[in-house]
Amino acid sequence: MDALEALVRLACKAREEQIPVFGVADQVRLRIRSEKPAVTLIPLGLFGGISAVAASITLFMAIELWKYMSSPVMELVAPLPEMRLW
Amino acid sequence: MENTDWADVVASLAGDDDAYARLVRRYEKPITSLLWRFTRDPVQCEELVQQVFVDAYFSLKTYRGDAPLLHWLRRIATRTGYHFWRDKAREPLETALPDSDILEQIEAAQDDDIDPSEAAAVLQALLARLGADDRLVLTLMYFEECGTQEIAERMGWSRAKVKTQALRARRKIKEIAEREHILEKLGWTL
Repeated sequence: MDALEALVRLACKAREEQIPVFGVADQVRLRIRSEKPAVTLIPLGLFGGISAVAASITLFMAIELWKYMSSPVMELVAPLPEMRLW
Repeated sequence: MENTDWADVVASLAGDDDAYARLVRRYEKPITSLLWRFTRDPVQCEELVQQVFVDAYFSLKTYRGDAPLLHWLRRIATRTGYHFWRDKAREPLETALPDSDILEQIEAAQDDDIDPSEAAAVLQALLARLGADDRLVLTLMYFEECGTQEIAERMGWSRAKVKTQALRARRKIKEIAEREHILEKLGWTL
């Protein structure tokens, strides 16, 4: 008999083995409860939405204000005009 | 798939713990039977069974229902067992062949005389001498009677890889069995 045939023969017998049953339903339930992520006050999607709206408003205001600058780059680099206080 | 399974899956997704407990009870036996091939330690096996059902719960929304729930659970269980072996492989521990009467029992060469539990212990101890990939392929072939296609599906491997792995694993286990003089111990001649 070949070694592999012997293993097949052992396997045939091994498949008849009685397997223990543990009854894990209650433990699984407990573990699921303990591993469930805690509910956050503000869901992530809602938080992202509010952030996006705030960013849009800020961008809109920035563009509008930019338009009122006559020469945006010059305004940034030119020295402040000296003003006479008296 | 069975309507009761699908109804319980839907209820579980809606947060019904009892529905999921019903699924666990329904499929605990075949999943335990599979994981028993990965460890014969009852404590470790129970831990693995729990892990499979916890993982399955958190992945339940990915279950499409196009295959029986048991197939889906078996895939998770096989991968859980495989990772268990991979983790254990870091520990330099080799499973010894059981010092039992199994060898003398088998020597009688009457299959009815062999204790299935001890036959399984001998076979699992032999397979434990292989690496995780080889061991997995042969475990599924010998104990679960899986074909290469099914093993490939369970593990997400290609069928060609499984065939190559099976060929290599058979060669290795044959060498090990011969080195351990299993046939002589069994009283089976070459």
